[in-house]
Amino acid sequence: MVFTTAVNFIRSRGPDEFWRKRKIFKLAAHFQGRKRNCYSITIRYVHRALVYATKGRKLKKVDMANLWEQRILSGCEQHGVTYPLFKESLSRSGVMLNRKTLADLACWEPQSFKALTDIAQARAAQDGLNVSKSLEPPSGVVTRGMIK
Amino acid sequence: MSNSHLLMKAGFITSPAQNGVGRYVCQLQRVVLKFCKNNGSSRGVRDFIESDLVNFAKDHPGVVVYLKPRRHRGPVIVAEYLNGEKQHVYCRNFTSEVVSKWLTLLKNQQGNHEGMRLRKMWHTDHPSIQGPWTPYTFREPSLNLAEFPNDKLSSPASLEPSATDRLIEAFKKQQLKELE
Repeated sequence: MVFTTAVNFIRSRGPDEFWRKRKIFKLAAHFQGRKRNCYSITIRYVHRALVYATKGRKLKKVDMANLWEQRILSGCEQHGVTYPLFKESLSRSGVMLNRKTLADLACWEPQSFKALTDIAQARAAQDGLNVSKSLEPPSGVVTRGMIK
Repeated sequence: MSNSHLLMKAGFITSPAQNGVGRYVCQLQRVVLKFCKNNGSSRGVRDFIESDLVNFAKDHPGVVVYLKPRRHRGPVIVAEYLNGEKQHVYCRNFTSEVVSKWLTLLKNQQGNHEGMRLRKMWHTDHPSIQGPWTPYTFREPSLNLAEFPNDKLSSPASLEPSATDRLIEAFKKQQLKELE
C-alpha cells in the first residue's frame, strides 16, 4: 500500500531559495564566522554593509574636498598667502581653477603653484585686499594696473 | 565605475606599450566556438563558420580554433589568453558580421578586462614635470651650512614692531625734530 499523505507533509519552499540566498552570501564573503555562513544572520549585516556603502559615497566626496582644501592651504601658507585671499585674488584675476586642480598643482608642480601665489599676491596688493597685513607685490609679476 | 560587487576585479588602466616594440605576440591562445547545429540562435555563428572562420584561422596561425557543436544549448565563444584568463562571449542571435567583430576584438585584446573596476580613469607614468613637492623644495640651501644655535634663524619670520619699539621710534623722531 502506498501512503501519499506522509509525502504531502513535506514542505517545499520553492526552487529558487538557493540562488536567492547565494546573492546575499556573495556580498558577505569577507565577513567573519556565522555572519558569513548563516543566512538569517548574514542578511542583517549585509543590509548594514549596503547602507554604509550608500552613505560612504557622499562622505568620500566630502573627505576629498577637505583633503584638497587642506593641501591648498598648506601650499599657500608656505608662500605667505592666506587661503581666502588666495581664492579671492585668483578669481579676480580670472584664474578659474578648481580645488582639485590647485591641490594637484601644489603637490606635483610646486613651481607653478608658487607662480599662482605670486599672481594672487600681486592682485591683492593692487586691489588693496588684506589691509591689516599688506603684502608687497612680488617681483616678476606684471599686473594690468602697472601697465596702465 | 562603482564597486558594486565584492568579487569584482579592480585595477588601474594599463596600456600594452611593450608588445609590438620588438616583436608582437598575439595574446590570444585559443578560441572555442560552441554552437547548436540547428537552433536559430546559433545561425549567425554557423554562417560565420561557413564563411569567415577558415580565413581567420589562416590569418592567425598562433591562435588555435576549436569548434564544439553542442545540441540544444546557446552559442558561446570562449577565448583563452596566454596569462590564463578566460572570456565568455554569449553570441545568441548574433549575425556573422558581429561574430567576426567580436573575434577581432578578442584577438586584439591583451587579456580579459570585462568586469574590471577602473580605480582611476587616467594613468600617467610621469605625474610630475617640475618634480613633486618635498619639504626641501622651497628651503634655502644655505640652511645646510648653518650652525645652531643661530639667532637669525631662531627669530620669528615676520616680526612686526611691538608697541615699545614704536614708542622708542616715535621718541627718536621727536628728538631729531627738536634738534633741527
